[in-house]
Amino acid sequence: MDDAAFAAAVAEVAGPRQRLALLTRSSPREAWESLDGSGPRCDASLPERMSERLAAARCGVVWTGGPGYPHLLADDPHRPAVLFVRGSLDALASRRAGLIGTRAATAAGRATASLLGGDLARAGVTVVSGLARGIDGAAHRGAVSAARDGAVGRPFAVVACGLDVAYPREHAALYDEVAALGAVVSEWAPGTPPDAFRFPLRNRILAAACEVLVVVESREAGGSMITVEEAATRGIPVMAVPGSPRNASSAGANLLLQQGCAPVVGADDVLVALGLDHRRARSAAHRPRPEGDDGEVFAAFDGGALGLDGVMLATGFDLPRAALALGRLEARGWIVRSGAWWEVLVAAGS
Amino acid sequence: MAAVAFVSVRSATLLGIHGEPVDVEVHVGSGLPGFSIVGQPDEACRESRDRVRAALLSSGLPWPNRRVTINLAAPVPHRKGGSGLDAAIAVGLLVVQEVLPPGVAASHAFIAELGLDGALRGVAGAVPLAAAVGAPRVVVSRTDERQARIAARCEVLAAADLGEMVRCLRGDEPWPAAARAAEDGCEVRDEPDLSDVRGQPAARTALEVAAAGGHHLLLVGPPGAGKSMLARRLASVLPRLSGDEAVVTTVVHSAAREPLPPGGLVVRPPLRSPHHSASLAAMVGGGTAAMRPGEVSLATNGVLFLDELGEFAPSVLDALRQPLEDGVVRLARARTSVVMPARFLLVAATNPCPCGEGSPGACRCDDRARQRYLRRFSGPLLDRFDLRVAVSRPGAADLLSRQDGEPSSVVAARVAAARATAVDRAGVLNGALAPAVLDHVAPLDAAATGVLRRELEAGGLSARGYHRVRRVARTIADLDGEPDTVGERHVVAALALRAPVHRG
Repeated sequence: MDDAAFAAAVAEVAGPRQRLALLTRSSPREAWESLDGSGPRCDASLPERMSERLAAARCGVVWTGGPGYPHLLADDPHRPAVLFVRGSLDALASRRAGLIGTRAATAAGRATASLLGGDLARAGVTVVSGLARGIDGAAHRGAVSAARDGAVGRPFAVVACGLDVAYPREHAALYDEVAALGAVVSEWAPGTPPDAFRFPLRNRILAAACEVLVVVESREAGGSMITVEEAATRGIPVMAVPGSPRNASSAGANLLLQQGCAPVVGADDVLVALGLDHRRARSAAHRPRPEGDDGEVFAAFDGGALGLDGVMLATGFDLPRAALALGRLEARGWIVRSGAWWEVLVAAGS
Repeated sequence: MAAVAFVSVRSATLLGIHGEPVDVEVHVGSGLPGFSIVGQPDEACRESRDRVRAALLSSGLPWPNRRVTINLAAPVPHRKGGSGLDAAIAVGLLVVQEVLPPGVAASHAFIAELGLDGALRGVAGAVPLAAAVGAPRVVVSRTDERQARIAARCEVLAAADLGEMVRCLRGDEPWPAAARAAEDGCEVRDEPDLSDVRGQPAARTALEVAAAGGHHLLLVGPPGAGKSMLARRLASVLPRLSGDEAVVTTVVHSAAREPLPPGGLVVRPPLRSPHHSASLAAMVGGGTAAMRPGEVSLATNGVLFLDELGEFAPSVLDALRQPLEDGVVRLARARTSVVMPARFLLVAATNPCPCGEGSPGACRCDDRARQRYLRRFSGPLLDRFDLRVAVSRPGAADLLSRQDGEPSSVVAARVAAARATAVDRAGVLNGALAPAVLDHVAPLDAAATGVLRRELEAGGLSARGYHRVRRVARTIADLDGEPDTVGERHVVAALALRAPVHRG
């Protein structure tokens, strides 16, 4: 039996604090022996079963003090004592930026996350996120598609359940892609369900894995704000994407900006924060602003989302006139249709 | 004693929205005094024994203390329901006792319930029942007199009570003069008016398009946005019912014993808004032996409004699909089957998501919760809505403004003109245009074709959706005063009024 199986067995029966206490003092084998028989789940065959489960879930194990444990976590006082890994931890060797946000994201928020994820990956930055619905998933999608097209930057995900449990289920394919191109890690053994209490714990690892943390869209309270606090206690700079004050999904991000976080309106801002070369061609810089009817309709949005009613009221246009302008703005990429609403996709200044 | 021991009196019972003629055969013979009704009577029919006896005695008329057998004979055997046979039974008993001449039974039919005091009372379905009897004259209660005239093919006579009826039948006194039909012109318009709606231009336009083209409409919006308020005003912009439509709708309402307007004839399009706890039988009809018409039939030639669409039982919603397609509802039961009209304009309202806010930025639901919510509506049902429009809460400025919205009468005039254009051109409203005639009836100009091609290529439109958009665009063009070619602006507006239900 190798140490990996013992480390996994320790992770299976002990909580994060106990694991850390045990594994900082002793080897996985000794740690397991001190636990063996101490509880109903601690039977002698557990390491062997864990070894089989690791093989079945195709995931590796690193533990604090052991070979391959990431250096950047080694000094963290609340580091995960055991990490289960699918993919390669090499992704942590390059520059790393976290992209996080709400699950109830707007279409524009998801588009921003995806754009940032792709641009950062193309700039060689590892994109760290949580593979949740909404912003997280979008950021990883952007990074995955860029990495597939040959970008150097890798996607890196920290999740709150066992690595063989894809949660949310609709991201199962994305899990596999992130694992293939970068890595998916968790401090929970394979088979662990995504219980609510594991998410705040996950967020501390996510924060610790970043060099800079970008909040794309967040409400005033929520998982993203927990990650922000974890980052703040570790001295990791937090940045935020500004949103319309009328957009409740951006309230948290705007609050962070008020409190002095640096704003992010493009991947360049993140690259500057990382001290990287950011001189790239700006593709969207010189296109003409919408004019005439289109301009009036675009101005009515004021950065937020509007339904047909809102557009017609703000401009006084009748239905066909408003619809034509909306159609042109959408075709040119200024706005995006989201169900019965339209959202601004690009700030008019950029 | 009596020379005549047997007599047959004509009446009718109700099945669905049709009257079925029934001959009430009365036989009085020797034997122990008794009274029995045979021929598949239901409970209400069986009880007529007590009502008839009390009514005869209260009116000072004799009751035969002999063996009485009543047989309810119908060409097609079915279960006879209701209390409308009371008067016929009483007349039969009076004929065999020689209080009334035998000729009375041959020349009259009787449709009325009897009160214990001898009063003639109204019955459910007076309109179809009077239309069904095959006698030269039909006697009904005063309550039912106007209704009975609407569809009757014979002379309608009315009496207040049994005593009066007997005197008139014997020729002792003339039948009372017919009640004057209330003038249609003085119809009471107590419908809510569109001028109450402030702001909400898109929803108002959608309402107008729905009324002009007969397109089904789905309103999506947060609580308090005024979805119900808008939907309840749709009937006010629809034109008056034509003669035939009015008769059909009146027959259905009479059969369901819904209150009829003072004039007797339903001339305004009905608005039905069943609560979302409605059962399948309440929605499509049936449930009793008499097969009471359901909400889909009651909404015939009018509006069926389903508020909180997602709260309706899925089976109830799916049952709407056949009536929506065929314009009739066919109900089959072990004993019987009926066909009832169900040609209505469907308007539904729903919240966009569990939290109700819906709009990006304000909504607190994640994608999954939204999808789960919308999965309550089956795709085929959502597909039936030509118009799907988001309704937002009116702003403070709109609510406080003294300026009323456009009144219903102005909108109704435009709607009537557009409907006339459509019917002149194709014989039907635009919502009912067959795909095959669309190219002929709603030709697209080059720009409009381009818009639709892009939309089809982008995958935003199914084949069925394509036809629906063209129909709606046809209506928008009609309202725009362009009865010939459908232009880009009309197609784009039609697409804007067909919001995808799922937020991407």
